[in-house]
Amino acid sequence: MLFWLILFFPLLGAFLNGLVLRKVSPTVSHILGAAALIAAFVCALITYLQFMGAGGEAQVINGMDWIEAGTFKAPFNFILDRLSGMMLLIITGIGSLIHIYAGGYMHEEAATYRFFSYLNLFVFMMLLLVLGDNLLVMFIGWEGVGLCSYLLIGYWYEDDKNAAAGMKAFLVNRIGDIGFLLGIFLTFKYFHTISFSQLKEMVLTASANLSGEQLEAIGWITLALFVGACGKSAQMPLYVWLPDAMAGPTPVSALIHAATMVTAGIYMMTRLNFMFYLAPDTQMVVASVGAITALFAATIALVQYDIKKVLAYSTVSQLGYMVLGCGVGAYSAGVFHLFTHACFKALLFLGAGSVIVAMHHKQDMREMGGLRKYMPITHLVMFVGVLAIIGFPGLSGFFSKDEILWRAWTGGDRYHIQWVLGALAAVCTSFYMVRLLMLTFYGKNRSDHHTQEHLHETSVTMWGPLVVLAVLSAGVGYLNVPHILPFPAPLLFEHYLDPVISIPPSVADYWHHLHAEYPHSLEWGIMGVSVVGMALSSILAIGMYSDGFSKLAHSLGSTLKGAHRVLTHKYYVDEFYDAYFVSPLRDIAQFLWKIVDVVIIDGIVNGVGQACMLIGGLSSFRMSGSLHRHGMVMIVGIVCMLSVLFF
Amino acid sequence: MVSIDHYLVLATFMFLCGTLGVLFRRNLLMVLMSIELMLNAVNLVFVSGSRMLGNLDGQVMVFFIITVAACEAGVGLAMVIALFRRYGTVDTNFLRILRG
Repeated sequence: MLFWLILFFPLLGAFLNGLVLRKVSPTVSHILGAAALIAAFVCALITYLQFMGAGGEAQVINGMDWIEAGTFKAPFNFILDRLSGMMLLIITGIGSLIHIYAGGYMHEEAATYRFFSYLNLFVFMMLLLVLGDNLLVMFIGWEGVGLCSYLLIGYWYEDDKNAAAGMKAFLVNRIGDIGFLLGIFLTFKYFHTISFSQLKEMVLTASANLSGEQLEAIGWITLALFVGACGKSAQMPLYVWLPDAMAGPTPVSALIHAATMVTAGIYMMTRLNFMFYLAPDTQMVVASVGAITALFAATIALVQYDIKKVLAYSTVSQLGYMVLGCGVGAYSAGVFHLFTHACFKALLFLGAGSVIVAMHHKQDMREMGGLRKYMPITHLVMFVGVLAIIGFPGLSGFFSKDEILWRAWTGGDRYHIQWVLGALAAVCTSFYMVRLLMLTFYGKNRSDHHTQEHLHETSVTMWGPLVVLAVLSAGVGYLNVPHILPFPAPLLFEHYLDPVISIPPSVADYWHHLHAEYPHSLEWGIMGVSVVGMALSSILAIGMYSDGFSKLAHSLGSTLKGAHRVLTHKYYVDEFYDAYFVSPLRDIAQFLWKIVDVVIIDGIVNGVGQACMLIGGLSSFRMSGSLHRHGMVMIVGIVCMLSVLFF
Repeated sequence: MVSIDHYLVLATFMFLCGTLGVLFRRNLLMVLMSIELMLNAVNLVFVSGSRMLGNLDGQVMVFFIITVAACEAGVGLAMVIALFRRYGTVDTNFLRILRG
């Protein structure tokens, strides 16, 4: 019962806000939206505690039948296990905080019912995504969150740029969705079921007896599904939509484009980990794409000036880490990073949102600086967030990111390059995050007089959630501390996901490194490399940006002019796509429209009509239009016919 | 003694009257009334046939025809009114929009 309420409340909130209470004041829609989420969170928490109290065994909750055609069945069944339970808490918990915050952020808007309606609908769809027990229900959620993302990116649709960004996100995700759909089709073709629990049972019990054809199919299925994950989780080469998605309101960026929706790909791969384990080639692709994305996005973030753009590329980069974690088979580490990242990235985005509100919606860091004086609380929480993301020892990012890099290194020779890329990305991460912190909060204020006068700390609805998130960002890492570090309490997360993640016995040898013992010195060494790299680049960033743009920053920029320009233009990826994909497609569309549609198809259709008119005109000269004449002809005709019949 | 032939002759006469009315009256209202007359001629044939054969089927059919005729009159009159509103006349000589 309680379980259904988790899904019901956000849907109710979306319904009330979007369709019923459209005339109410923004405060009411805010309270309604936030209350729906908090209620869902409370239900989720109780459900989760009950579920864990009962031992945490996966259970399938039967909903209603949906599609049944022959052997194909796709009922609305939901799966409640440790993975989806954890996602439930992340989505509703962080969602609640962001909903509370959003009221403060959007208080200048005239009518926010639309905003909160979309936001609630998003949460509903996301819950559907993580709870669905088969690929098709997941796909509904998958598309639903994509839709809400589109609607919210284009929330301020009067500005063409925002509408275009929304459309870009939607279209790029479409490419991934094709992969996802192909994955579903192939799964059904070769396994005759799309239910996760049935698939898992089938694959695990039969892993040694799978036919060569089926093994090959698993390779393609996982690859196709990974294309879907690339779209949703913003991996190379489909990441381009995420930075543009920052056109939406900042709470949206925090909730959808950092904490929850973009992690759907990682969630999906973890859900199907038993299939991915059987496809080492796909895993190699996944790990490589993740590592490349992590470094690629991190380098772009080095030179961005827009505070939200930096965070956006940082999100892409962190998602790369999670994907890398999945790729090296360390799903638990990937999901753990998902969890910590959800906390600190939501915190960073919301903190950036507070700064943006204080700066009167200016987002350029060149105009900021010295905000520490004006916004002490925001500064403090952002400080914690930055420490968490750069992996400062003791905060959550340190534990989760290190775990992934450690798993990548211990994956053996085949993953060493990925480890190098990941470690370099970590160095970049600490540079650009410290740069962001310095440029925003330290040094002298560079804004104009008018803005400076109005700088102020935000209201409690805004900094309250920030404080909660800061505490989480600092603390959640202690659920999973590396073995080599002394930690008195039990590690709650260490074996948490074991029932969900299962390596099929037939490939256990290949993945042995996940359970092997390694010398402590190696682990210390890997950790040391990360920490030293982090420390050095942070110090460099402090040196360069502690008081605005130092001479060093300028001279570095001019000596490495070429590199700087390439990075500022984001490696010209958008230009490349535009020249080689978008423009040709548009030309083809123009051709189809102007020539094929207007000239050929319309010509045929209109030609048929005109031909009919012509023939009709030729033969209609007998039609006088006189009623009596027609009646006479008819009656004479009838009389003639009757005469023939009777005589 | 009135035989069935009398009724049939009367019915034929009524039917012819109606037909001629439909063909030659120019007022749409009169055309409609003529159609009613034709229907009633048919009714008469039904009733007399029913009477002759001692079978009620024909009379039942008449009830249906009367009902349908009522509807037809209602719809027809409504259309006449609509026509009048649109063209300001119900004279069929002027209503020649079907001319080819």
